[in-house]
Amino acid sequence: MPVFKVCLKIFRKNWLSVSIYIVIFLAIALLISATSVSERPTTFSQKKARVAFIAEEQTPLVKGFRKELSRSTTIVALPDQSEKLQDALYFRQVTYILRIPKGFTESVLSGGKMQLEKTVVPNSIENTYVDLNVDQYWNLARLYAAHDPGISQNGLASRLRANLSGTTPVVMKTENAAKTSDSFSMFYFNFLAYTLSAVLIMGISTAMMVFRRRDLRMRHYCSPLKQANVTMQLLAANLLFAGASWAVLVGFCFLLDPQSIVTMNMLYFLINSLLFTGCIASLSYLISTVLKSLNAVSAVCNLITLGTCFISGVFVPQEFLNSTVLKIASFTPTYWYVQANTRIAKLTHFSWDHLAPSLYSMLIMLAFTGAFIAIALVIGRRQQATN
Amino acid sequence: MIHVKNLLKRYGDLVALDHLSLDIKEGEIFGLLGPNGSGKSTAINCILSLLSFDKGEIEIFGKKMTPDAYESKRNIGIVMQNVAVFDELTVYENIDYFCGLYVHDKSERKRLVEEAIDFVELGNFKKFHPKKLSGGLLRRLNIACGIAHRPKLIILDEPTVAVDPQSRNKILEGIARLNKQGATIVYTSHYMEEVEQLCSRIAILDKGRVIASGTQEELKAMITLGEKITIEAFSINEQELQQLRELPGVLSVQWIEKRLVIKSGKKAGSLEAVLDFLKTHEIGFGRIYSELPTLNDVFLEITGKQLRD
Amino acid sequence: MFAHIFFYRFKCLIRDKQLVFWTLLFPILLGTFFYMAFSNLNDEESFHPIHAAVVPSGNSHYDASFVEVLRSVSKGKNRLFTMKTAASQAEADRWLKAGKIDGYFSSGETIQLTVNESGLNQSIMKSFVDQYRTNSAAVAQIAKDNPNALQNGLLQDLSDRRSYVKEVSGSGAEPNNVLNYFYVLIAMACLYGSFWGSKEIMDIQADQTERAARINTAPIHKLKAFIAGSLAALLILFTEILILLAYLRFGLKIDFGPRAGFVVLTALLGSILGISFGAFISAVVKAGEGLKIACLIFVTMAGSFLSGMMYQNMKYIVSQHVPLLSWLNPVNLLTDAFYALYYYDNLYRFALNAGMMVLFIIVFCAGTYLIIRRRKYARL
Repeated sequence: MPVFKVCLKIFRKNWLSVSIYIVIFLAIALLISATSVSERPTTFSQKKARVAFIAEEQTPLVKGFRKELSRSTTIVALPDQSEKLQDALYFRQVTYILRIPKGFTESVLSGGKMQLEKTVVPNSIENTYVDLNVDQYWNLARLYAAHDPGISQNGLASRLRANLSGTTPVVMKTENAAKTSDSFSMFYFNFLAYTLSAVLIMGISTAMMVFRRRDLRMRHYCSPLKQANVTMQLLAANLLFAGASWAVLVGFCFLLDPQSIVTMNMLYFLINSLLFTGCIASLSYLISTVLKSLNAVSAVCNLITLGTCFISGVFVPQEFLNSTVLKIASFTPTYWYVQANTRIAKLTHFSWDHLAPSLYSMLIMLAFTGAFIAIALVIGRRQQATN
Repeated sequence: MIHVKNLLKRYGDLVALDHLSLDIKEGEIFGLLGPNGSGKSTAINCILSLLSFDKGEIEIFGKKMTPDAYESKRNIGIVMQNVAVFDELTVYENIDYFCGLYVHDKSERKRLVEEAIDFVELGNFKKFHPKKLSGGLLRRLNIACGIAHRPKLIILDEPTVAVDPQSRNKILEGIARLNKQGATIVYTSHYMEEVEQLCSRIAILDKGRVIASGTQEELKAMITLGEKITIEAFSINEQELQQLRELPGVLSVQWIEKRLVIKSGKKAGSLEAVLDFLKTHEIGFGRIYSELPTLNDVFLEITGKQLRD
Repeated sequence: MFAHIFFYRFKCLIRDKQLVFWTLLFPILLGTFFYMAFSNLNDEESFHPIHAAVVPSGNSHYDASFVEVLRSVSKGKNRLFTMKTAASQAEADRWLKAGKIDGYFSSGETIQLTVNESGLNQSIMKSFVDQYRTNSAAVAQIAKDNPNALQNGLLQDLSDRRSYVKEVSGSGAEPNNVLNYFYVLIAMACLYGSFWGSKEIMDIQADQTERAARINTAPIHKLKAFIAGSLAALLILFTEILILLAYLRFGLKIDFGPRAGFVVLTALLGSILGISFGAFISAVVKAGEGLKIACLIFVTMAGSFLSGMMYQNMKYIVSQHVPLLSWLNPVNLLTDAFYALYYYDNLYRFALNAGMMVLFIIVFCAGTYLIIRRRKYARL
């Protein structure tokens, strides 16, 4: 097995350039596992927005409002200076700045149209609840003012406090939700698409480039080894490398999120990622047959991995992506990998009905694998014929 | 033209140049001969003011050599040991670039570059990038880049390393031609044949010291060896070998693989004495060769080791 | 002479296809990917009605009004819920388990919500119930205080909800998370420009390449040759960055704020920063081209990572926990300079970032000068 052994040696030599990707990947994964809650909540929780509360008047109603708001949000004290406020939004100390203009209470009580002013970080979901709470408080205040005349502001504030107290009891049927749904593992396996692509294309293409050098190929041709034998040895080495990379990366997931190991979902995560590994390995092989220099490999590697991952929903979830982009993405195996992965994460039942869509995605991935190998073989034959 | 006195250069504990002194005169081809690591390139780099040194004086064109000695630099051409050209530029552009560092006038430069290209016979490769050139052609480009500005002093640091014999001869011929056109040449090499063929004066370096210098004849006159005689002899015994060694003028005798190798001194007559001896002892012999001493022999006799291993 | 070197260095650099790829084509392609991935992110999220169910308690005193309100928000195109009524709690549980609904309400004296997980839809359902509960409490209270209110259109007024908040922008521009990605991208391209600077050093330091040694033997001042070469590198990088900016601004319609002049100035500062950084690293790290490239790539990529190119919150994590690092990260400085131009009304924060960059440039240039000013080497 001389070819096999040399091929493995080349992999070992290239380990450094490949490990850069793994280190960056793990750094991100660690950060995310550190910032995300490790225990799945068993009680219902709403995310609290961080709010800056700037009041230009201090009426009893405004004071009551502030107290009420502090139950559902985290109020951050900030000085009323536009520079400081901009900074706070910029650095996410708050996502919502609420300003109560002078005369607002009077306006509400007399049915006026004056409004509070908010400045927000867009796309913060928790801000929606702030809006709801603000509207609820002042709508009720307006209602009292209109239909309960003669009530003092202090009285109104205490009425509202009474009305708004208490919460809706929420029952969480945690046993119904898939443990892996929106879990670290799902994120990890999605993100794995990037690292695996980079590591495999970098590693395999670089090693194969060495063997594709004209002089080396001719030297092999002159040796008593059969061409098929050489190919088989190379293939075996590549598969070993791909398998090892997969095992290492998946192993880290087990370390970082041990809770998911015992789920059925994990089994399908593993199958899916293994299929993806095979697919990218064959793509790497194809790339090495087409490209001529190592510099081109690193350029193409970066373009393919980043490109497919961005449009296939590895970095930004698929549901946020533009439908045209997704259509383009469906011509890449990464798209189907991510789709299968996201579906698997949500599975609670593993009957055929539930599994079918994920399996369908995996099947398409297999088709990609076959296509890559076929093209690589055709190109390989051609190159041999022309040499 | 170049005056080096007591040059001392240390790399840590290693003494690279040990009080080296050289005197190179206008119009000559001066050879610096020495094995690898003897300090040839270090000496050149010190002369060019690329390397700092611990002690000593260097003058070129009668002026002290410093990094700012632009007037002197303008008249120096340098061909480095390794090919120093830009891969991104074509043959023509490379020569034009380096020439342009010395010659500012554009039309003048154009003429010089063309001349240099003709000189190294790269006319057919003007638009080629260095990556596409073979080793010999690349060396010639390297030389063209160093000489295009018509320097008065050309320093070549092993310009023929790893060059095929054909290209090597072309290069050597070219250097001789440059000299005829008036340039003073400093040539370093560890190929004694080249130096022997080319140089009018030679300094032999070993361990950072000049162990001998002068013309070829002067160098060869320094040593006791006058002639090396090789005789195909079929059988000879130890006693006869001993007797041979005692013949007048014979310095040493070795019998290796049916060959007698006899080194004799400068006085004539040794060969005849040896042949007489063989005849009288009825020792059969075949062909006879006689060689005059080479620079290698000079080196061998002074240092006790071969120039090349 | 100066022009001669400038011209040839320009030729040399521009023909380095690999460098042109990484400093121009790569950022453009990456920017396109960003654009494709984020183009939907800043649009209003389209809202899909929530699948929900209600389990009546059987007591019409509680059921009637609640189910009525639920129905009113489950009608029409802009409905909040797609509502089903379950015959029993068991049926609702089955629906929930099969994933047909996101949760169900159990009517009664206190309305209860049953869900599988706490997600966005579930939170909206809870808010809805909260609102219903407090409204009911208020109506009951008002009816007690003023029994005539019900005749006076209390319920009408209740359903006539008003919005009491309006959005005002805190400055000329609103915070925009996605922009950061594109700004980091420009910063990354500038820092990739360090390769140009590194190349200049390698072709001027006699102890690094033979070419440089050859140039050192020519009758030209080393610093002059270096400056001519660096200006060629700067011209190339700055042009590339301008092309990238133009592509982002006019091709992808990325907003850079109203101060175009300052944006171009920042691009220039970034280009100088990139070149001087590369020159500095290349001058300091003498050993081997591989190590130099590794250093440059590492600083650029780590800097981009810490500025949020791969994971946006990284930027905020750093600025919160290790603020010093965000001031020492050249990629972050450049990113923030662009963002400050976009976001802030005044130039205070931009000036801060630009000042810091100038400081970096001075340090890099001074460091480079101190190393390359020596023209004799101890060893080659």
